[in-house]
Parts: sequence; C-alpha cells; structure tokens
Amino acid sequence: MKELVLALLFAATPAFAQVTPDTPNPFDGKPDAVTAGHDLFGKMNCAGCHAYDLTGGMGPDLTDASWLYGGKPGEIFHTIAEGTPRGMPAWKDKLTPDQIWQLVSYIQSKKSN
Amino acid sequence: MTLRNLLLGAAFVFATPALAATTASKSFTGATANLAPNDPAGQWTRQARDYANTRYSPLAQINKANVGRLRIAWSFSDGQMYGHEGAPLVVGDTMYVVTPFPDIAYALDLSKPGAPIKWVYQPNPDPRAIGKACCDKVLRGWAFADGKLIYNLLDDHTVAVDAGTGKEVWRVQLDDVTKGPTMTQAAFVVGNKVYVGSSGGELGTNGWFQALDIKDGHTVWKAMTNGPDAGALIGPDFHPFYSFMQGKNLGETSWPTDAWKHGASAPWGWVSYDPDLNEVYYGTSNPGPRTSSQRPGLNLWSAAVFARDADTGAAKWAYQFTPHDEWDYDGVNENVLIDIPWKGGHRKVMVHFNRNGFAYTIDRTNGEVLVAKPFGYQNWAKEIDLKTGMPVINDAAHPIVEKKVTNICPPDIGVKNWNPSAFSPRTGLLYAGVFNSCMDLTNHIVEYIPSSPYDGMEMARHAGPGGNWGEFIAWDPVAGKRVWSIKENLYVWSGAVVTGSDLVFYGTMDGWFRAVDARSGKVLWSQKLGSGITAAPMTFIGPDKRQYVAVYAGVGGGAGVIRREKGYMPGGNTLYVFSVDGNGIGNGTSQLVSQAGAAAPVSVPPAAAHN
Repeated sequence: MKELVLALLFAATPAFAQVTPDTPNPFDGKPDAVTAGHDLFGKMNCAGCHAYDLTGGMGPDLTDASWLYGGKPGEIFHTIAEGTPRGMPAWKDKLTPDQIWQLVSYIQSKKSN
Repeated sequence: MTLRNLLLGAAFVFATPALAATTASKSFTGATANLAPNDPAGQWTRQARDYANTRYSPLAQINKANVGRLRIAWSFSDGQMYGHEGAPLVVGDTMYVVTPFPDIAYALDLSKPGAPIKWVYQPNPDPRAIGKACCDKVLRGWAFADGKLIYNLLDDHTVAVDAGTGKEVWRVQLDDVTKGPTMTQAAFVVGNKVYVGSSGGELGTNGWFQALDIKDGHTVWKAMTNGPDAGALIGPDFHPFYSFMQGKNLGETSWPTDAWKHGASAPWGWVSYDPDLNEVYYGTSNPGPRTSSQRPGLNLWSAAVFARDADTGAAKWAYQFTPHDEWDYDGVNENVLIDIPWKGGHRKVMVHFNRNGFAYTIDRTNGEVLVAKPFGYQNWAKEIDLKTGMPVINDAAHPIVEKKVTNICPPDIGVKNWNPSAFSPRTGLLYAGVFNSCMDLTNHIVEYIPSSPYDGMEMARHAGPGGNWGEFIAWDPVAGKRVWSIKENLYVWSGAVVTGSDLVFYGTMDGWFRAVDARSGKVLWSQKLGSGITAAPMTFIGPDKRQYVAVYAGVGGGAGVIRREKGYMPGGNTLYVFSVDGNGIGNGTSQLVSQAGAAAPVSVPPAAAHN
C-alpha cells in the first residue's frame, strides 16, 4: 500500500533519484511552468547570483551556451537539486521536483541562442 | 593664439588659483601626513605603504624627465584568472605576490635575472567560497610583518606564512563560508596585531572586525558591526559627534526586530591607524537586504566608519555616511589620515571618498565632518547637512518595490569603490579613480535563505553625463573641490600611487597604465598592458639600486558589472614591472649572465652592477 501511494504521488514527475541527464522536462511546452519558474527564480534568491536577466554576476550566465555542469534539462535539474562544489546551494530540501522543473523551464526559455 | 583663446586661458587661470602652484613645488593645501612606520624608502611592506593609507612613496629616481622612457623590465604571470586587486610587497631582495582565489602566494628573487620563484605556498581554500563571494573571487592584497606574510583566504581563514621558507606558520578559521560570509580584505598589521574584517554585504551576513595575535592568530578582540552594544564593543568611551547616532543599543533598535542579524554591514575595506591616538579606522558595508523597505530605521552601524582603540577594540566614535542606505552605498572605502590647516588652526582628519559620491574630510579625534562635497556626479542627495551630519535626500531617488525608478546616480557601485586613492604630502592633494554612472532601479521583496544572496536590487546601469564612465581626479580635501581631472572611457577602478617626484600612477580598465604630473594632471606616459587594470600599483628599489614601478593587469572584481561595455578587456594575471629603459638585472646586453656557464658579459648597464 505504501509503495502504491508513493508511486501515485510521483507519477506526474520523476522524483529526485529518478532524474538522469536524459530525463526530459515534464513541463516542456507548458507556458505556465515558465511563469511559475520565473516567480521562483526571484523568490528563492536565484537572481541574486545569476541576475534578474539571468546573464550572471556573482554566479554564471544562464543564457549562454556554456554550462559548467551540463545544459540538458536533467543536468540543470541535478545542479539545482544537489548544488555544486563551487558553492551553489542544494535546493532539494527547499523545493519540490515540480518546482525545480519549473525553474528548468524558465532557464531554458531564456536561452540566447 | 587667437584673442579668444588668450582670454579663455586667462579666465581659466584666474578661475582656478590652485593652478598657480603648478610650476612651483609648494603644497596646494598645506595638508601633511604622518608616514609612520617610515619604512625604508625602497620597500613596500603593506598595501597602502604606511599606516595613514597615503600610498605615497618618497622615491624620485623616476621623474618627469625620464618617465617617458619607462619600459617593461620583467613580468610574471600567476595563472589565476579572477580579478587582481592587490599590490605586490617588496622586502629586501624579495618580492611577494598573492593571487585571487585560490589565494596562492609566491616569493620572487629580485636579486637574480628575471626574478625567479623562490617558493610557492598553496593554501587550498574551500571551493564552495566561489559561490559565496559577491563580486568576483578576489583578494585585495596582504601584509608583511614579524617575518611573516599574513593574508585572508576567501573561505574565511587567515593565514601567516614564513617569508623566508614559504611554510605556513598558522591558520585560523574566522567564520563559516557555507553560510555566506567570505574574506577578501587585505589584512592590516600594527605591532603584534593583525586586523581583519568580513565580506558578504549581499549574503545576509552579520559583519565583524577583529584583531588577531600575530604570533598564533588567536582572536584578541572582536567587534560585531550590528546588534547590542556589548557585541559591538560600544561602551562608555563611545562618543559619536552627531545626535542621530547617540543612544543605547542602536545597532539593534535601529532595525526591525532581529533584522540586524542578517544586516550584513561587513567591514571588507581598508584599515588605517593613527599611532598618536592609538586608534584603528575602518568602514562598514551596505545593510542587508539591499531592498531598503524591508528594514525601516537607520540600520546602524551599516554604511559607517568606526574609530576604535587599537588594543581593546573599544569604539571611540562612529559616523554613518548613508543612514538607512537605499542604494548599496557601502562605507568601506579607504580613510586616508592627514593633518590639515583649518580656520587658523590645524585638525587631524581622515579623507574618505564614499560610494555615495561625497568626499568627507572628518576630524578623526571626534568624528566631526568638516567638509562633505561631491567629488563626481550624483543626484541622490542635495547636500550633507553639517549641523546634523545627515544627507538631504532628493525625493526622486527613493527606490520603489516592483517599480522602476530611473536615473539614480550613482548606481550601487558608487562614484568610487574600494580602489584606493593616494595622498601626496608634497602637493597636499589626493588622487583617485572615480566613476560616472547612474542606474534604473527596481526593488524586489526578498526572503532570507541561508547561504543564498539577500539582495533584491534589479539594476540597469548606464554612463553618466558626458558619456564617459570614468575619470581620474586630483582632490583638494580642505576646500572640497577638484583640482584637475582626466576623463577615461571606462570606470577608473585601479588604485593610485604618488611619488616624491610628483608622479601619479594609475591604470584603466581598457588596459592603459599611466604616469601623470601630480600638479597639472598632464599625462606623461602610457603603456597598454595585456588586460584591464583593477589593481593597485606600487614602486620600489631593487637590489640594483634602481627604482621600479609594478602593477598587475587582471581586470575583474566589482568592475565586472560593466564587462559588456566596449573596451572591457579579457581577464589576465600578469604583474608588469617597469624601469627606465626597461633596464634590470640580467636584461639587455647583459642577458648572458643569466645562463649557467655563460662567458663574462660584454657590457653591463651601470646600475646593474649587483654582483
């Protein structure tokens, strides 16, 4: 029964452990997710490092083609969830997988190329 | 010359009587400085050369007649690509340089051709510090004292390294980098104490300043910037000059409940020391968060300067430059200690070019502001009221949450940042790189989330009136006015050094290193370097008795806010060392002496007879 409940809970989106670099963003093509990601980007202080236009400052530019930890949706998800050895905090204790995917949607919508 | 030009020229001379001193050797202002500890003229053992932070070198071998012949004698690349901000040190026959993160130290042997490496010290700081340092992963230099090199690591440690061997003598941890604070300040040493402060104005930190024992690094005293008086070492000796700073526990009560705990106010800038008063002086950063509507109140002791007893840390006075700062106008810039003629008498003062665009001349015995005048373009305040000590703010400059307020000048980075000025006791003037820019500002409400930025300011910066982003100026600290200025394309974010031959050296972000006549502002020499210059130059005498000038070219740090402007150069990491004609040990026709087993040199430049 417990397993069933868990499976139902996470049926909509892959949970943290299930996300691989090749996992597609379950919110692909959903504009609401971009809007939700934009809100989270401000609320969770992402803009403080990566700037309100995502072009970077204290932290890296998220609009260019250069990705320190990989630019595939699953890789961006992993970086947000786990943080980085270079001091980006891990957000998996503060955000749900859905929220992280929404952030991924927002970041991907800002690609400059 | 036409009659019109003749008349204009005459009008100019009459309008600026200070220029009458141009050809003379006398002081423009009568200001002097105590150059203690009066190190040998050829050495450079702390960032600003003296306790007073003048960056004045009495050296005069390089002068107005030969400065045009300056050439590169040798150079050194340290391999690290973050912004380079500090000046090298020279003690005896050795030069010491330290890199930005990962904070690697090198000793270079000046007595040998090409200044080879004597030792390398790698402290291996925690890389998580990279993601916590707001404005590039920098270090503003270090200090030599007691046979040790002493400096801060980005991950909140201070280390002491044996100058002879490069071995670590001690290392102390002063904060927890994973929570947000970093250390970028240049350690400052007087006697047996090392003075260090925290960085992290944008990370919701709780700023502190402390004195460490030079023998083992243990904390002798520690003063929190904010919070109750006890933690800030504010007691019966504390006498701020102006009434708005007088009262009990204002570092706690001038904030919403408990907001001071994440109120930043980090002392990340320069420290100066007066040996007669036995006081140290340092400034504090912006309050956190940067969104000002979230912290109604004066927010003491952010954006302020403290005078403290050097032995006990007891606060003597403070002065808050920007009460309830709304624009990120940190108060951490250098306090240059000079003595000025004032109304028939003399005053011991400090001169401080604040981010907010006003240059303050403050009586350092009591915190009274004698002069506060704009030294560059600003429009946030009409004036500083010298009766109350408070700025008279322009209503149009207040930020609004979720609404863009246009053309606030200066932007967050100020009319000048940490880039240190120089003072010449010969001319009585200060020399400073300044910024000319404005911002469109939209504030956002932010929440404190540990280890993430606590900020909220969304900005678009643009050049100020005239379109040039920067200038280099000479400043009269008694009259509170400019004597001359040189316009530059980008922010002038380098330090300055002024010499006994009335030369001022500074660098530009588009890579020009310049020597200027300290009296007239005439550019006498320029050399394009491999990267933009955001470091402080220095000058020294080598083992060959020759004067050299050295500066790092490695643009970065806060200057990166305009990294997309035309002319901004790629990063770099090269120290350039200049001499007249590029002469130096082993250079030129004597180069074969640098090769093992080489025949006797055909000729040796006269000054290079070192062996």
